[in-house]
Amino acid sequence: MNEPTFLILTALAGESRHGYAVIEDVEQMTGGRVRLRAGTLYAALDRLRGEGLIEVDREEVVQSRLRRYYRLTGAGEQSLQTETDRLRAQATIAEGRLRARRTNFGGATA
Amino acid sequence: MKPEARYRPLLALYPRDFRQEYGDEMLGVLMADPRPGVAQTFDVVRGALAAHLRGLETGRSRAARVVQIFGAMLLFALGVRRVAGVAIRWATGADAGFVPHLPALDWARPVVWGVVLVAGVVGWRWLGAAGAAVGLAAEIVVPFQSYVNAPATVLYAYWIIVASAVVLAATLVAEGGGPMRPRGGWLVAAAGVLLVSQDTFMPYQVWSSGSAALHFAVQLIVMVVAAPALVVAALVRQEPEVRRRLLVWVAPVLITVPLVQWGFGGLIAFNMAHTDVTHYLGPLQWAALVLVPVATFVAVSALDRRVSAGRPRARRAVAVSRRRRPDK
Repeated sequence: MNEPTFLILTALAGESRHGYAVIEDVEQMTGGRVRLRAGTLYAALDRLRGEGLIEVDREEVVQSRLRRYYRLTGAGEQSLQTETDRLRAQATIAEGRLRARRTNFGGATA
Repeated sequence: MKPEARYRPLLALYPRDFRQEYGDEMLGVLMADPRPGVAQTFDVVRGALAAHLRGLETGRSRAARVVQIFGAMLLFALGVRRVAGVAIRWATGADAGFVPHLPALDWARPVVWGVVLVAGVVGWRWLGAAGAAVGLAAEIVVPFQSYVNAPATVLYAYWIIVASAVVLAATLVAEGGGPMRPRGGWLVAAAGVLLVSQDTFMPYQVWSSGSAALHFAVQLIVMVVAAPALVVAALVRQEPEVRRRLLVWVAPVLITVPLVQWGFGGLIAFNMAHTDVTHYLGPLQWAALVLVPVATFVAVSALDRRVSAGRPRARRAVAVSRRRRPDK
């Protein structure tokens, strides 16, 4: 799972959101490091809908323009959980090795 | 220029069904985004290109995975048929002096397509793609070995080459996600068994006696009627969306039949009638052989998208509840 996909699923794990709200939430989550653009966002949303990981929650019309809210499906929740577990396991390994490295080298950095 | 006027032409670059589904939403997001400029334009254009490519390849999809499995099954059967035919004649004609001729590539082809089949069923995409690439190369090399003496050999094998290319392309874009047993797999397997048995009907005595009528009758029934009927029955059993997409994949293979029949029938007839002079394929004919199946795939894919756009997208419609909530 690539980072934008992970972040979009994470944004929708909290509550159902429309496209621009996803962009804002991702930006907030990453401290401004990642700010998705419309082309990237909707390519990902279309793919995730096709894979059954997200679905449309509701639609509304705001200023004569369609606004669609997306939410995580059960499969999306499971997929996000799997990816989260994987990232956590990798982070734990990396953390352990860094700790061991610091111990071996008496706290000196290369 | 107003932002809306700037973005509408960019959104026009997307496939129509994508635009109908997301165009209004995207426009709203683009106009709300305070980052207009080249990067935004580039991102929209890149997204449009990606959407077209996904449409052309019909997605990293379930249909592509079915194409990989069914295609590899049939190509495996054709490979086994060649080996089985020689084996049965060797078994029945060794005493009469039949000497089997089975080059390494004839052994390799069923093995390679068997690997692609297993990889498709299990879900090992890269093994499947590597196998399909080797299989395609083998299916090209074998008829081309006879090209100088008999150019028609390439034309006769052309549908198999295109089918191999289709399986390779499908393997590259097929969905992953673990093992898969597509609906109607047993029907395609039965078609494969029929194809294999077709040549094993030819023991040495029948084969060497020149019983052409019997051979052609069996070939006609198996190749033109029975095996295709089983494959069609398997296609009918697929989900409607998968079935439509399977037709997109099959179209380039089907077009090779009229292409060779009507486009190259004259060349084949001339070479059969003139043993002293051989006509070879010209550059335009080679170009037609490559471009016609590709153009067919693109055209049928576009037609499929157009048909899909006219229908409610089933996957979209599932969970849309239209409860209105206050604007955020």
